Amino acid sequence: MGYRAEQLFAILRSLTPTLLGFVGVLILALPIRFFEGALPTPIIPLVVVFFWSIYSPDFLPSPSVFAIGLLQDLLMGGPLGLWASVYLVTQFAVSSQRAYFLGREQKVVWMGFALAASVASLMLWLVMSLMSGVLLPIGALAAQVAATVLIYPLFGAAFRELHSRVLVEA
Amino acid sequence: MDYLGQDRREGLGRKANSRVILVVLILASVFLLLSSLYSAQASVFKKARESVLDATSPILEVLSGPIAYVNGVIGYIGDYFAVLEQNDALRRENAELRQWMNEALELRSVVSGFERLQSYQAPPQVRPVDAYIIGEANDAFARSMIINAGRRKDVEPGQAVVDPEGLLGRIVHIGANASRVLLLTDVQSRVPVYVEGADVEGILVGRTRARPTISIIETSDDIEVIPGQRVLTSGAEGVLPRGLPVGVVEGGAGDLEVDLYANYTRARMVRVINFEFPAVTDENAEATPEDEASASDEAVAQTQAEG
Repeated sequence: MGYRAEQLFAILRSLTPTLLGFVGVLILALPIRFFEGALPTPIIPLVVVFFWSIYSPDFLPSPSVFAIGLLQDLLMGGPLGLWASVYLVTQFAVSSQRAYFLGREQKVVWMGFALAASVASLMLWLVMSLMSGVLLPIGALAAQVAATVLIYPLFGAAFRELHSRVLVEA
Repeated sequence: MDYLGQDRREGLGRKANSRVILVVLILASVFLLLSSLYSAQASVFKKARESVLDATSPILEVLSGPIAYVNGVIGYIGDYFAVLEQNDALRRENAELRQWMNEALELRSVVSGFERLQSYQAPPQVRPVDAYIIGEANDAFARSMIINAGRRKDVEPGQAVVDPEGLLGRIVHIGANASRVLLLTDVQSRVPVYVEGADVEGILVGRTRARPTISIIETSDDIEVIPGQRVLTSGAEGVLPRGLPVGVVEGGAGDLEVDLYANYTRARMVRVINFEFPAVTDENAEATPEDEASASDEAVAQTQAEG
């Protein structure tokens, strides 16, 4: 493999988490309504942000997180900066607890994700309620966050494989 | 054995990844959030939304086809178990609709008789634009959809979007080939409506729940709204045509909830109502009484005050 191709792959590898975040946002924007919309769509960018903030923050620097959040705001039509701040605060909180999570069992990390997702959704709800001037119903958000927490082990495992086998050269 | 969690400087953020930048970006996004409270329509933001719509709409358009297919297949599985009840309900509804059809045919002949009279003036032409739903905000608080018709098809902000059953929402952002529809259930949605037969004008206010409420702006002395009465757009703000079906009144006094006709989980093909509101010109000045025009002006003022 030539030097140039190798360099290109290195760039692609380092961009992968960011691109996964963008894909997660696109999935949120697709008209997925399985069982007449009874199944909420998981917030995959939150998983991406959480995972790489713990295991390899170098692959997902804060400008990338900002870009993912901003894309989501622009695409969803909500107030600008809403999801950007939710994801960035999540990254801030998680990276401060990084030392605790590293090397822990996946169950513990899962619990940590559940906690982080709940805090993020509470923040989202508070901000949206403040901005719209009424207490918004929290049911739909709770269902969506529950779905996200439920799929975390699946995506966590997939991201682990991806990260250790593809992104970081053995 | 496993490289997870090792600080290998290989990713994007060799230099960029510092706490300072993270904090600065948090502050920047909070600032954005606060500023979007006051300048939601600022041209920079609008431009950004439009370019994102244009950039993502080809991807969404390609992917929404297979997704609609899967939605349909899974939907059929659910329907399979309820097929007998559904058949029964459809048969009853069909019988009812046949009666309505006969009545409509009779009325049509009566109306065409009136239309032949000389004083008749045709209502303003509505030029609908057909579109598919290619995107949907799967977000707890932002209720919107993306359709594949934009500026190139003369779609404009404020226009009504209907599905075969009723009003879905209104256009808020337009790109060249895609536009965003703010659904009636979104917390930002405000649509002037009236309750048929109750002489009540009001504004339909979204609450992120399945049923929006009507806040009354104009009342005769006491409001007599009976559950089951139809709710239609009033056209008071001068953009939507009067009389688009919205839903039926649910529940009694207090919060007037509206059970929408539109089915957000089934809608796939929609229609943008490109409606030109009749303006008072010299030509039709006589046909449009002054008091009606001033009444609608008042309503617009009230709408703005409410919003």
